[in-house]
Amino acid sequence: MLLPKFEFHEPGSIKEALELKKKLGSTARLLAGGTDLLVHLKKKIITTDHIISLQRIESLARITAQPDFVEIGACATMAAISGTPVIKEKFSALKSGVDNIGTHLIRNRATLGGNVCNASPAGDSLPALLIYKALVLLESLDGKREMPIEEFFKGPGKTDMKADEILTGFRLPTPPAHSGAHYIQLGKRKSSEINVVNVASFLEFDPKTKIILNARIALGSVAATPIRSLKAEALLKGKIAEETSFYEAGEKARFEDCKPIDDFRGSAAYRRAMVGVLTKRTLTTAFELAGR
Amino acid sequence: MKKIIHLTINELDHEIAVEPNKTLADLLRYDLKLTGTKKGCDTGDCGACTVIMNGDPVNSCLVLAVQANGSRIETVEGLSTDEGIHPIQKAFVEKGAIQCGYCTPGMIMSTKSLLDKNPNPNEQEIREGISGNLCRCTGYTKIFEAIESLRS
Repeated sequence: MLLPKFEFHEPGSIKEALELKKKLGSTARLLAGGTDLLVHLKKKIITTDHIISLQRIESLARITAQPDFVEIGACATMAAISGTPVIKEKFSALKSGVDNIGTHLIRNRATLGGNVCNASPAGDSLPALLIYKALVLLESLDGKREMPIEEFFKGPGKTDMKADEILTGFRLPTPPAHSGAHYIQLGKRKSSEINVVNVASFLEFDPKTKIILNARIALGSVAATPIRSLKAEALLKGKIAEETSFYEAGEKARFEDCKPIDDFRGSAAYRRAMVGVLTKRTLTTAFELAGR
Repeated sequence: MKKIIHLTINELDHEIAVEPNKTLADLLRYDLKLTGTKKGCDTGDCGACTVIMNGDPVNSCLVLAVQANGSRIETVEGLSTDEGIHPIQKAFVEKGAIQCGYCTPGMIMSTKSLLDKNPNPNEQEIREGISGNLCRCTGYTKIFEAIESLRS
């Protein structure tokens, strides 16, 4: 397959990239890892006259750990994120998410910023970003802004990133003590698969009474964007962290929080049923992990 | 407009003028005649085009040649020496891990990357190490055995 002809730009700084974006207009495309963009260009799903590569902007690939938060640059690769100690230790559900994207060959190129900007409802890294309360960091020539990730998604392939902006990274607050999180993706095979349903859950509880202080559940592949399962979360708050509560949360998520569709990967009814199962399982494992 | 890029391929330095819309796979195959690297799907699903870029295996069909500017590339052609073929290639031949041969260069480059990082992979690690490469002859068992025989 041939790639269409385009002009290639390789700015060395975010400012330079923003100036290029302003000059070239909305037809210019940002290139991060390229594992989706080049496929879409080859298949003629999108066209462009200008590609702005972010590869040479070193700050965009950085992962910085602070006591209170970790910042992940938009162009950090899935492989780099997965191999970072703080991600393994404190953000295991995100590690599990990025480890499930494509194949290991893809993960050596694909970036977190790219996965988020593609805004697939089934994206593997997205539910974990939701439950960890990630902030999306955006920059334009007028300044910086940040927003909660769940407000960033506007529909399949659609985000709140404006034409004059670049997504520069993500800030994830360090999870509190006595909390745990887990991610499960359901597909037909392990490698190179698009999810049928994917769920991430986060649980914070009182270590003495086991009363749930906070719960966050994110559902993928069952709505136009990844979504929070707010009714299930509300149900959990104040309950004892145990099997029955997790089951009830799963039922709530299954019947009240998701809006799946029928397609060739699975029926809406099957997806709904699996939302129930995976919500319960992710909560159970999140609780187990927190006990360690 | 063409861009001049510099890259090292199998320890040889190259300075090449390339069109921005040329992939690394096409640069290797059509410009440099290194046709050991194969193109199967051209969309990053099959792994036939696997090369090692700065130490990590990648789908060369999803890397623009201009993105590879300044990098170090290893292809299947770089494996053999004056003393003959590489031990990985030898193991693939001896274990019958080659049927039609189309996936073989990609499989071998994934194997090389796996063993470079982990000389003694367990069963799961071997399976994961070649999970980005498809064999349309379905000869996975023999490929697995070839890699298993190389464990130190």
